[in-house]
Amino acid sequence: MDTPRKVPVTILTGFLGSGKTTLLNRILTEEHGKRIAVIENEYGEVGIDQALVINADEEVFEMSNGCICCTVRGDLIRVLNNLNKRRDKFDYVLVETTGLADPGPVAQTFFMDDELRAEYSLDGIVTLVDAAHIDQQLGRSDESTEQIAFADVLVLNKTDLVNGAALDGLEARLRGMNRMARVVRSERANIAVDTVLDLGAFDLDQVLERRPTFLEPEYPFEWTGVYSLDTGRYELNLADGPDPAMSLVVASDQGTDDLALQEGAEWCVRQYAEPAEIIHPGGEIPVGRHVNLQLDGLGIKSFFFEVDTPGLIGLYAQHLAEEFELHLRTADGAVVPVKADRTWVAQHEHDNEVGSISIEIDGDCDPQRLNAWISKLLSERGVDIFRMKGFISVAGESRRFVFQGVHMLFDGQPDREWGDAPRRNQLVFIGRNLDGQSMREEFEACLI
Amino acid sequence: MSDLNAGSPTGVLDRGWSAAVGDYAIAGGWILRGAALVVGDAEGGVYAFDGKSGATAWAQRDVHEGGVLAMAIHPSGAAFATAGQDGRVLIWSAAEGQVSRAIDVGSGWVENVAWSPDGQWLAASCSRQVCAYGADGAEVWRYDDHPSTVSAIAWSSTDELATACYGRVSFFNPSTDSLRQKMEWQGSLVSMVLSPNGDIVVCGSQDNTVHFWRRSTERDSMMSGYPGKPSALAFDSAGTLLATGGGEAVTVWSFRRKGPEGTRPGVLKFHHEPITTLSFAPGARRLASGARDGTVVVWSLQRNGNGSPIGAEDVGDSVAELYWRTDGRALAALDAQGGVTVWAIGETKDRIRRPRQARGPSAGSS
Repeated sequence: MDTPRKVPVTILTGFLGSGKTTLLNRILTEEHGKRIAVIENEYGEVGIDQALVINADEEVFEMSNGCICCTVRGDLIRVLNNLNKRRDKFDYVLVETTGLADPGPVAQTFFMDDELRAEYSLDGIVTLVDAAHIDQQLGRSDESTEQIAFADVLVLNKTDLVNGAALDGLEARLRGMNRMARVVRSERANIAVDTVLDLGAFDLDQVLERRPTFLEPEYPFEWTGVYSLDTGRYELNLADGPDPAMSLVVASDQGTDDLALQEGAEWCVRQYAEPAEIIHPGGEIPVGRHVNLQLDGLGIKSFFFEVDTPGLIGLYAQHLAEEFELHLRTADGAVVPVKADRTWVAQHEHDNEVGSISIEIDGDCDPQRLNAWISKLLSERGVDIFRMKGFISVAGESRRFVFQGVHMLFDGQPDREWGDAPRRNQLVFIGRNLDGQSMREEFEACLI
Repeated sequence: MSDLNAGSPTGVLDRGWSAAVGDYAIAGGWILRGAALVVGDAEGGVYAFDGKSGATAWAQRDVHEGGVLAMAIHPSGAAFATAGQDGRVLIWSAAEGQVSRAIDVGSGWVENVAWSPDGQWLAASCSRQVCAYGADGAEVWRYDDHPSTVSAIAWSSTDELATACYGRVSFFNPSTDSLRQKMEWQGSLVSMVLSPNGDIVVCGSQDNTVHFWRRSTERDSMMSGYPGKPSALAFDSAGTLLATGGGEAVTVWSFRRKGPEGTRPGVLKFHHEPITTLSFAPGARRLASGARDGTVVVWSLQRNGNGSPIGAEDVGDSVAELYWRTDGRALAALDAQGGVTVWAIGETKDRIRRPRQARGPSAGSS
């Protein structure tokens, strides 16, 4: 008997007012040749006739064992198992959750129920974020944090209501929580349908293709600008930005190529580890020292520093230059052009300690040790692990082992042949209070 | 001699006729004292076939928009009720295939429908609501306060209705609008069956367990170790044997003496994929089981729950439902491709070949 393709499912989450219904309507009206079934929550208001829209009360069922990882959406099991009986089947399912929904049970449902698991596959979790309100929402509720942590795609919506610098700050904050997700910006959920459907969300290669910096180390700064300066006094201008303060290190003898920037970054990490000197507007910035510029109040703030010997200097700034409209001026007020710049993966203050751990190591794993480690990790930390995905090189296996998971639920299978490609392992975990260092060490211990 | 036009025998299963409906055959039943079989499908059509020849007696397509979800045959066999995704229940006259009454139950799916044993009441559930209607279709009772969608309903007597949902089984007397008894268990109860005397209520749970309560003593127990969700359950007409699915094997618990607590169940192995439906022949220790692999097996059971396959056939696609004719001399299978297969059931023959092994569960008190 041939195995028909599983029907892909996209879960659409986001707070009330984030634009879920607008996006749903956009997807349903667009010509994409798909027959889509929509499972809407009880407050849903999709107004499209041609789509199969089913309203379901969100019924979150906990099991008697009390395990949150076994919690499922009973309504989805009932409705989707039933819809699947139709011969003229739809070929895509969209599940819209209510604003306050925890995405865990929705995602787990597709792992936990045997019948659903046989017929459907979780394609991706798309979270809409109201750019104007997410800052307050993140402070107030675990649900919004989890919706972001679970996402494969974060749609930063209503960007017309927020200025560019604040958006950059917000995007950096979201990335700090979930480095695995793709972030797209929109005004009225006007994004291309293929950014949210048919993601094959669990293919880590795609993630890496989109964001090659994904597995890079994190730095305490986000941006470096290199300037060619003569001897003299310089003024650093900063306009209003997303934060009342910003850390900075001014580095002398800075090169402009990537290697020089990397070396500078490593040196700056050590400076950033030192306590920062507080500098108020109008104050002097000591070169080579960690400072914290005070940016309270409206208007442009100026800070000054002296250059004794002509050459290249690097500004290692905690935030992106455009977030504060950062400019460097000479004593007579001329703007100094940036000779080179680059951004870094920022180590943000993690919201409720939600963050991403990535492990990238060459070599082969011992299957027994790997199994033991994963079992232990998931049983001890499954509650705090929201999502995981990756691929592993298992000794004696000619194909890559790809896996994905939600909380304690883990699903993996062999994928393509390694062939001549170097054997390596990439694992990503998004969760709460995860200890990246010890996870990395434990994984390394699984290598042969 | 069989009263069906039988083909080649496979154990006790003598192939009579087969027919097809428009889509996945969801539910059905024997009507008019076994003279016809009625079937509802996922397209929303309702079909009646002559019980002997399989010829289409009548067919009505697109009756329930979105599809039929449930069906219940009136105890007289002269009427039946269908329920669907359109939120309606239809009451039909069996002979003419005419809808005598259409009831709007609610805006959601009507997933369960059941006649009371005396045929005076018709109960239906839609989301969290359960309603009871008189024989004329007039609503006489309604209860809206279930904590989740009702997954199963069953009449325990002519004036008592049981409902199952997440976390509880409730017993109502619709005529006095009273809640008589409530059993609680934190779990998603996906199926329910009552013993014929109404004392034992058994539910399959999403967490791969079977939970049961004895109403007289309010004692409850749990059977665990099932590899899958036990959505198929059946009691024999004596109320001593309980057949459960939840995997590739049929697990049969005996309620004789102090059982099933502390006893080992009969584990019936034949099917290669999970059990989808179970049905006991009226008045006999004879069980029919259907599975996702398309196999239908008839078992002869002993009093301790062990048994042997005495008939087996493959209908080609996942078995949706099995219905014994009231005299136990014919069996109908509905399948996922819309196939309807009817066999005459012969006299007990030698046990038939049993294929590879399957796992079975264990019992324990909760």
